[in-house]
Amino acid sequence: MEPKIGVYVCHCGSNIAGTVDVEQVAEYARSLPAVEIARDYKFMCSDPGQDLIKNDIREFGINRVVVASCSPQMHEPTFRHVLQESGLNPYFFEMANIREHCSWVTEDREKATEKAKALVSAAVRRVYYHQALEANEVPINPNTLIVGGGIAGIQAALEIADSEHKVYLVERDPSIGGHMIQLDKTFPTLDCSACILTPKMSLVGAHPYIELMTYSEVEEVSGFIGNFKVKIRKKARYVDEDKCNGCGVCQEKCPWTADSEFDVGLAKRKAIYTPFAQAVPNIPVIDKEHCAYFLKGKCRACEKFCERDAINFEQVDQFVEIEVGNIILTTGYKLFDPTPLTQYGYGRLDNVLTSLEFERLVNAVGPTNGKISLKDGTEPKSVAIIHCVGSRDANYHEYCSRVCCMYSMKFAHLVSEHIPEATVYEFYIDIRSAGKGFEEFYNRVLKEGTTFFRGRPGEVTNVAETPEEKGKLVVQFEDTLVGRQRRIPVDMVILSCGLEPQQDAEEVARLFSVSRSADGFFLEKHPKLDPVATMTDGVFVAGCCQSPKDIPDTVAQASAAAARVLALISKGKVEIEAATAVIDEEKCSGCRICNLLCPYSAISFVEDKKVSRVNEALCKGCGTCVAACPSSAITQKHFTAEQIMAELEGILV
Amino acid sequence: MRKNSPQSFLKEVASIPGSNKISECIQCGVCSGSCATATHWEYPPRKIIAMVRADMRDDVLSSNSIWFCVSCYLCTAHCPRDIRPANIMHALESLALKEGYKPPTHSPAMYQSLVGSIKRNGRVHEFGFMFKYYLKTNPLAAIKMLPLAIDLLIHGRMPLMPKKVKGKDEIKAILAKVTAGGAQ
Repeated sequence: MEPKIGVYVCHCGSNIAGTVDVEQVAEYARSLPAVEIARDYKFMCSDPGQDLIKNDIREFGINRVVVASCSPQMHEPTFRHVLQESGLNPYFFEMANIREHCSWVTEDREKATEKAKALVSAAVRRVYYHQALEANEVPINPNTLIVGGGIAGIQAALEIADSEHKVYLVERDPSIGGHMIQLDKTFPTLDCSACILTPKMSLVGAHPYIELMTYSEVEEVSGFIGNFKVKIRKKARYVDEDKCNGCGVCQEKCPWTADSEFDVGLAKRKAIYTPFAQAVPNIPVIDKEHCAYFLKGKCRACEKFCERDAINFEQVDQFVEIEVGNIILTTGYKLFDPTPLTQYGYGRLDNVLTSLEFERLVNAVGPTNGKISLKDGTEPKSVAIIHCVGSRDANYHEYCSRVCCMYSMKFAHLVSEHIPEATVYEFYIDIRSAGKGFEEFYNRVLKEGTTFFRGRPGEVTNVAETPEEKGKLVVQFEDTLVGRQRRIPVDMVILSCGLEPQQDAEEVARLFSVSRSADGFFLEKHPKLDPVATMTDGVFVAGCCQSPKDIPDTVAQASAAAARVLALISKGKVEIEAATAVIDEEKCSGCRICNLLCPYSAISFVEDKKVSRVNEALCKGCGTCVAACPSSAITQKHFTAEQIMAELEGILV
Repeated sequence: MRKNSPQSFLKEVASIPGSNKISECIQCGVCSGSCATATHWEYPPRKIIAMVRADMRDDVLSSNSIWFCVSCYLCTAHCPRDIRPANIMHALESLALKEGYKPPTHSPAMYQSLVGSIKRNGRVHEFGFMFKYYLKTNPLAAIKMLPLAIDLLIHGRMPLMPKKVKGKDEIKAILAKVTAGGAQ
């Protein structure tokens, strides 16, 4: 069938037409070989735009389509679908990106139009050689892996497991719960964090469809959407999970202690420990670094007192291999460490706390049983809360961490509740209380008499300049609404630290083949229209690993990720790209270079024929083998030499 | 900044090298909060930036504020937007001199003696430059400095004769270029 090409130049409102002379580009396209028709239209992706193509296919027998518009990322599937609906093979389509590559990168109308013409010419020449391809279908394994057992992971796991599909929930700490279980109350409703979270944690622990793997980490991931293979390291607990009944006698008897991670160093825990009383699972681990037996070869007190014989010092790390169809990353965040901001004195001055330290301090089951106290045990009479520590700061993190304004005001409320006569000062730059019930909470804190100073403090010091400042922490700042520098003496300073990516976000991103945005958080597929998926099909993100967010937003995103996974499970199969590599067995010399290079292990060697062969279900069409083959025996469908040469020619003429 | 911004004073200040980020200021006030001398300023540094943006040319250039910056650069170290307030204050000082505003301090004499010393010797000659400074301002005030000067002389910390550096001409050229860039 002789190619009859239709070219459609999109205005994208004024996004393209504002810079590129779209009519001129369409006019030019008409002069290109095999082009039957060329049009320009306001929005090609709209229904009328799509109908334009459909009509031309019907009326003029167009059998190849070029759309000159935006990046194929979003709308290549849209237009391929148009062809399919009109009875054409969807691969008879090519997109020329004249928005990101032309109109958005220059204000020079002439040059943008010239480049748009070149890209259209390339697409036209390429589409001429396109071949009909059939997309491959692969089944979806209905099991799901969720990495990270904070509120995001818990929510997603429960939603999927409640539909009776298996979930593997992997958590690297000894218990699930994440940061949320460390918090005292939650803004703006002041629900007790543990009270709303522990029921969900026990559900996870007892759920017949959730296999909970705590104190475990993902080591290796291979495969692709619907068919991932994952290797998980179960770190040695030195406690037999089947025998232990969580009685806790081992923790009572253990004579060695270490700083409690759960209480951010404000309290001690034993060398054998569960991080907190409501831990799920309620099975302790032995911290080798602090255990007398591991350090000195003597003690074994826990073993002596354990009635169930559950202690096992011989335990080693175990590796478990599982197969899953989808993966949700819910690996959370790390609190910004304010030590580098030496002007605020964290780590140098007593009674300068991070926000998480204050959460533990004010928590009823925290190290002080909820008593807000200074290092000397007395109650503070005045508390300063400094916003935006590590956030909105080009020296640390440029982004706003979104939760600090609200939790800072929650702190003000908690201080007033615990110590009614105490004065609380909030040092803010802007109050960001955009959320349901947030502004109302701001009003409530104002009514309670909290003093708000607009100004980022320059310094927190213990060097007194007046008798009133003696023995106090002094916050020096400009009250910017008055325009005066002031010094306010207080007893306690809370630094409202921002949220930052986990320390190993880079390695985790590499492990799961997801990208990170400039701020270091995992990159979603589309910032507005697909904030849950990633560039890697079958890998989803939820919670603070994607960006700083509060609990309601985290739960919403986790539920969304679960819904996306359930949709794939319910469909049962997924179409994968037809642009795979094929080996011409006549030309293959059997050198096996491609076997070793393939990052997806998709090429195997056929012993009796002495040639290599590509497994199309595994091939992702990356093209590595094509480039490496010394005999030019490998062709990548949809990227044949003929097609690429034609495209180059189109750009150069 | 928008090319067609109506704030002509802001545009003028932003075009001075080192002050180009002034429009990115979020008025957090950490500069004024960190400033060692801000309590003496008519308007603290944050407000000076706000006033530049509000086109309050005369109020800014005639205020004592810009002259009280002692170049400790704490504001610049703490600034979350990399605005470099100290640079802006010096740019404004320069502008005020050019426009004939009378500074409330001896800072210009100090700067001029210092730069003059560098021009002559290629480096700062402390004795020469202080001598010049006191001659220009208040010779009697120099008497108070005498004990310190003697101490420094005895310990060889303040040679009477200047040491000159190699490449004096290059330094002169650098200074000429800086001056051509708008500094005084």
